[in-house]
Amino acid sequence: MDVDTAKYITFIVTKDCQLACKYCYLVGKNSKERMSWEVAKQAVDYILAHESDMPEEAVVWDFIGGEPFLEIDLIDKVCDYIKIEMYRRNHHWFNSYRFSFSTNGINYHTEKVQQFIKKNSTHLSIGITIDGTQRKHDLNRIWKTPEMERGIMPKPEEERGSYADVVKNIPLWLEQFPDDSTKVTISSADIPYICESVLHLYGLGIHEVNINVVFEDVWKEGDDSLFQEQLMQLADAIIDGGYYRDYACSFFAEHIGKPMDIETENQNWCGAGMMLAVDAAGNFYPCTRFAAYSLRSKKPIIIGNVHDGINKNLLRPFLTLDRFTQSPRKCIECEVASGCAWCQGENYDAAHTETIYERSTAICLMHKARVRANNYYWNKLYRKLELEGLREDYDENHRKSSQTPC
Amino acid sequence: MLTYLIILLDDTSVSFCHADNPRCERRLIPLDVLRQGIRFAMMENLTIQFVYPDYPLPADYASVIESIDHAKIKPTVEAADVWVTDKPFEGEVDVPVVLRITRQELFAQTEEISNLIGHAPRLNIVITDIGAFTDDDFERYRALLADISARVETLTKEGRMPWVSLVTDRMALTKMNNCGAGDSSITLAPNGRFYVCPAFYYEAPEDSIGDLEAGIDIRNRQLYKLEYAPLCRRCDAYQCRRCIWLNRKLTREVNTPSHEQCVVAHLERNASRTLLANIRKANPNFLAETKIEEIDYLDPFEMKREK
Ligand code: SF4
Ligand code: SF4
Repeated sequence: MDVDTAKYITFIVTKDCQLACKYCYLVGKNSKERMSWEVAKQAVDYILAHESDMPEEAVVWDFIGGEPFLEIDLIDKVCDYIKIEMYRRNHHWFNSYRFSFSTNGINYHTEKVQQFIKKNSTHLSIGITIDGTQRKHDLNRIWKTPEMERGIMPKPEEERGSYADVVKNIPLWLEQFPDDSTKVTISSADIPYICESVLHLYGLGIHEVNINVVFEDVWKEGDDSLFQEQLMQLADAIIDGGYYRDYACSFFAEHIGKPMDIETENQNWCGAGMMLAVDAAGNFYPCTRFAAYSLRSKKPIIIGNVHDGINKNLLRPFLTLDRFTQSPRKCIECEVASGCAWCQGENYDAAHTETIYERSTAICLMHKARVRANNYYWNKLYRKLELEGLREDYDENHRKSSQTPC
Repeated sequence: MLTYLIILLDDTSVSFCHADNPRCERRLIPLDVLRQGIRFAMMENLTIQFVYPDYPLPADYASVIESIDHAKIKPTVEAADVWVTDKPFEGEVDVPVVLRITRQELFAQTEEISNLIGHAPRLNIVITDIGAFTDDDFERYRALLADISARVETLTKEGRMPWVSLVTDRMALTKMNNCGAGDSSITLAPNGRFYVCPAFYYEAPEDSIGDLEAGIDIRNRQLYKLEYAPLCRRCDAYQCRRCIWLNRKLTREVNTPSHEQCVVAHLERNASRTLLANIRKANPNFLAETKIEEIDYLDPFEMKREK
């Protein structure tokens, strides 16, 4: 199935997680908010009953948290119900669906999760988040303690990293999902570890690393130069080490860093509004980033609920957004605009008014640094391939990044 | 470009637009605020529209008001430049009339309203519950517009040209002519603060866009402009009010209209198209510059989605 044209439906099944990652954007995490079976069922019923409103050829039923596998019993029941109902209703998604998970990987090996995987293996994708080397991973992804739930943070020497608990499940995961990728998020403190982390993940056998800088305004002066330096090191390592054929890293992409035409390249970047998220209370959101727990400074944007359905007027701004209307002039005129991403939720959170139409450009210098390193990467790689007479072979056979915008 | 300053003379000043004024406690604009408002308008080259309450103002206000060229929007017809009413009137009126009415009242009084046409130089019909239109209401509205158009056509054949906003405005327009709140007009409230329009003051007085001392500060000001409204900038329902307040209320965004607003405006547009074609049968050069093409949608959103 083609995930690029699929409808993404996200169930926020719990806000609980075993970890307390320092960069976690779930600012309002609350371990009590677990989705009930009734709410999940009502959401499925509503969605499948409104087939004409969701004409996308395929669907990705996405389960997130917190940590979704903490709710494996619920998820198993919901997935069974989805399959039965799609069949019973002769729904056009019946043969075109996927269940998708982003997990911290800690419970991956447990019996219940493994049974679920066996049952749904042909319609499943699972991404395990591992941030890179142990040093880098344990910097952020630490175990939550009962004290933390009461707001008391541990001293640095008391923090317990989760690397060892995740990495032990990587071989099993790769055996079951050899083509799946991992997602890495880079914040200011992570920049020095980018090169070693990507190479480490390749070394673990992960062939695709989808890596992004956070959209939030966290960047310090000089971060862009450091970032560029790391990406240049990574470019050298990938090319000199011969990884470029069988491994992919989303930082390097040929299409980025070009000016964009205002008429023909005016699309929105982010898929908010084309996705649908539902939380434990049965509220619908244009994407999970608009739920209260993801927002720092704005009210959630709730577009309906499982009882009353979706208010289509509230979806209109999301579905009519284009690049021109939300971008400042510097972005419209930018010489390296292509590939410069944004997140509608972060735009909304950072905006000066209650709007989704004000693009945040906190990543501006980081994008420009990425473009420079990216240019370096392709110039170096293509020259090498040409000298070796392997350019055509590369174009046809190399592994491409499968990253979707969010 | 900012061109108009609407000054609410009192908290109970009459509403002349889509939003109802919920305030019933009088609060007259202080005289010094009024003076400062006028001064501001003079310095910024703005045309003032004073909006009156339903009681007589103290005598000393008149001389201040008369110190500048302006228009008076009033809930009584006497000395008004625009008279706002919520009921069909009787007899002849020599000023433009704004008739504020709910859709149900409009449907129930089609005949009375048709009979008003030609008895005032201009009749602006403002529907106060556009957001509540259902699919059935759209059909009833289509029929109502046909009735009103028939009356306009009859009078036009008699050599009179009555103006009824719902069906004649689009005939006379060759480009967008919308409410312009936040772009071409702003409102000064009795508390001395500026607002996007009176409705923003009624709803959230804390949500001002500046005051007389600090001046105007409209955040994300570009979003009030037509070119920053992805649906409207391509639309040719030029007569549409494009109500910024309704946009914010129904879609949360000032630049994004609701389905209801778009369909209502397109039913009017299409009624104007038919009316124009009918008038041109007898008078081929009537409003020769106007073109209204045939289209197969009522909500530009559907067009955009298809693309
Ligand atoms: S944020 Fe910066 S790099 Fe990105 S498009 Fe705008 S100006 Fe260009
Ligand atoms: S009909 Fe809709 S798209 Fe057209 S101007 Fe009015 S509100 Fe905008």
